Amino acid sequence: MRLIIADDEGPARARLRGLVEEIGGVEVVADAGNGRQALLLCDELHPDVVLLDIRMPGMDGMEAARHMAGLEPAPAVIFTTAYSEHALAAFDAHAIDYLLKPVRKARLAQALAKAQRLTSVQLGAVARAAEGTVRHRTHISARHGGRIKLVEVTDVDYFQAGDKYVSVHYGGGELLIDEPLKALEEEFSQRFVRIHRGILAARDMITGLEKDSQGHYHVLLKDRHRLPVSRRHVSALRALVRAGRIGT
Amino acid sequence: MHLHDFVPASLHWSQRLGRAPGLVRTLRYLQCKTPNSKPGTGLCAPEPPRGSGSPKLSPISSDNPGRPPLQPGARSAGVKTPNGLPTMIVPNEHRPEGLYLPDFCNLRMVLAMVVAAELLAYVLSLSSAPGGAGRRWDGLIMTSLFVQWVALASIALLCACRRLMEGWRDTTTTTLYSFGLVLAVTVVVSEAAYWGGAYLGLFPMGEGGWHGGFLIRNLTISAIVTTVALRYFYVQFQLKKNIQAEAYARIQALQARVRPHFLFNSMNTIASLTRSDPALAEEVVEDLADLFRVNLADARTRVPLEEELALTRRYLHIEQLRLGARLTIEEHTSDAPRDAAIPMLTIQPLVENAVYHGIEPLPQGGVVRLEARRDGDGNIVITVANPQPPAEVIRRPGNRLALDNLRQRLGVHFGGRATLTVDDTTGRYVATLALPYEKAGS
Repeated sequence: MRLIIADDEGPARARLRGLVEEIGGVEVVADAGNGRQALLLCDELHPDVVLLDIRMPGMDGMEAARHMAGLEPAPAVIFTTAYSEHALAAFDAHAIDYLLKPVRKARLAQALAKAQRLTSVQLGAVARAAEGTVRHRTHISARHGGRIKLVEVTDVDYFQAGDKYVSVHYGGGELLIDEPLKALEEEFSQRFVRIHRGILAARDMITGLEKDSQGHYHVLLKDRHRLPVSRRHVSALRALVRAGRIGT
Repeated sequence: MHLHDFVPASLHWSQRLGRAPGLVRTLRYLQCKTPNSKPGTGLCAPEPPRGSGSPKLSPISSDNPGRPPLQPGARSAGVKTPNGLPTMIVPNEHRPEGLYLPDFCNLRMVLAMVVAAELLAYVLSLSSAPGGAGRRWDGLIMTSLFVQWVALASIALLCACRRLMEGWRDTTTTTLYSFGLVLAVTVVVSEAAYWGGAYLGLFPMGEGGWHGGFLIRNLTISAIVTTVALRYFYVQFQLKKNIQAEAYARIQALQARVRPHFLFNSMNTIASLTRSDPALAEEVVEDLADLFRVNLADARTRVPLEEELALTRRYLHIEQLRLGARLTIEEHTSDAPRDAAIPMLTIQPLVENAVYHGIEPLPQGGVVRLEARRDGDGNIVITVANPQPPAEVIRRPGNRLALDNLRQRLGVHFGGRATLTVDDTTGRYVATLALPYEKAGS
């Protein structure tokens, strides 16, 4: 079995590596210091198992696991955490396993054995069941040319629904994802506002609201882009502009 | 996945810390069951009532042999966390004030009342019956019979009314109701005794005849004894409530002061270093021990500034090992008087906050700057600065709580003369603590 260890603390990584080596039969292919790094390494190295710390800076373990579920093949995720909090109680039904730090060698061996027994089909099912345990992602992930591509949510200007996919427009270009706009709106309601039946725009990207000669409304983005506004969203947008929540 | 795999670590760490001697003593008080279960302390209340939300504390030995001590309240109160683990003792917040009476339905309580009633009968017969031993003996039997009837009937009625009383919020209603109930019982039993005695030809109290006098005398004794008993129950209840509240407050204070994540991560660091660098592991254990010693000490203690700074460095030593290059520490404290008196745990929590909220959430880490100096007015000024994570990073909860806790303690020590201010407008988070300069030990 090939394994990646993700933990933001050096001593914690060193200890896990030591334990794994003692258990044997497992090869540690990489170390990661945060969730984002772990995810990119998974995409590159296709490990069978990831030991994933839940609390990590940047992208945390929960979110990384959610993105990992979309990988092909998906690795078996074993969470490690120093202290179980309530979120974990809700989560434990879906996790392959989770270990409390300092991790016991016997428990680690047991978890690794369990991961080995699971087929990738089962893993996918577990990972899908785990979706929804993360409240707000910090990144949007999509497959692009066979590789995983990550975009920080803060870089996204707007989401636009197309025929089959939703396109993510961000500073560096455009990306297609397979998620309904409705779900995105719910997850990122703090950051994005619905301006059109098929468009979610970042609040802090909007600089103003304007009306053209035919009576159609548009929002102006910071990068001078103009996006159409549907009639039914005009009054809500006006209220936001007036409240100073957008258009600064 | 078996729940019991996680139980040990999932128990709140303060439950373990509960093994500190002071806390054990406090909790032991809570476990007392009957007045005679712990002679000498005078603190053990009678069997606590069975009211909802009131932890019915049972002796660990008989009731739950398999459990470690010090979780009796949690278990018996039936309070469970979502994952089925016992929680800490919760004070009787929900128990109505009016329900200060013990549970008279409890057999042990009935027994205690029978004994008390018998003692009362003995006192009454001693005081009222002059003459020979035989007559006194007769008097005791008759008085006992009478008093026991009154006591048992009252207990039975109070037991039956318990449901009703649970709904009452104020003490007065309960008191008046119980008082009236006992007096009514006294009247009924007196009447029965009077007419029964007259019918059988033996007058109960051995004294001659006026019906009204007999009734008034019984009612007076009954009223006095009931008043004393109710007062006793009330004081017991208050005492017990205070002890519980105190224990709870103390546990909460402990929880607020040490973050479980820090404890377990430190343990993990030690576990790791034990393999790679045993000497360093030893140092970390020593640092951790010092931190906990101080955390368990009386929070009112003042120490020289030097000592608090040393403790802060111990804490940072542990964090440095854990976070590695992500944590950079800048310390400028040489200008401050080393001997300034400062409440224990004032700087360390600020630095812990800085690491927890400012460094840990950042993948690249940052600088924590600690400064101590004297200002123009001679005050000691301590500042702790850390990077402010961007708004997109989910802010960790608990900052306000730690600061409020600290402010409260500063208020206790210095009144209004110490201030703790926070400035987060510059992109960095800067906490500034200003205290009057008082020499330690004076």
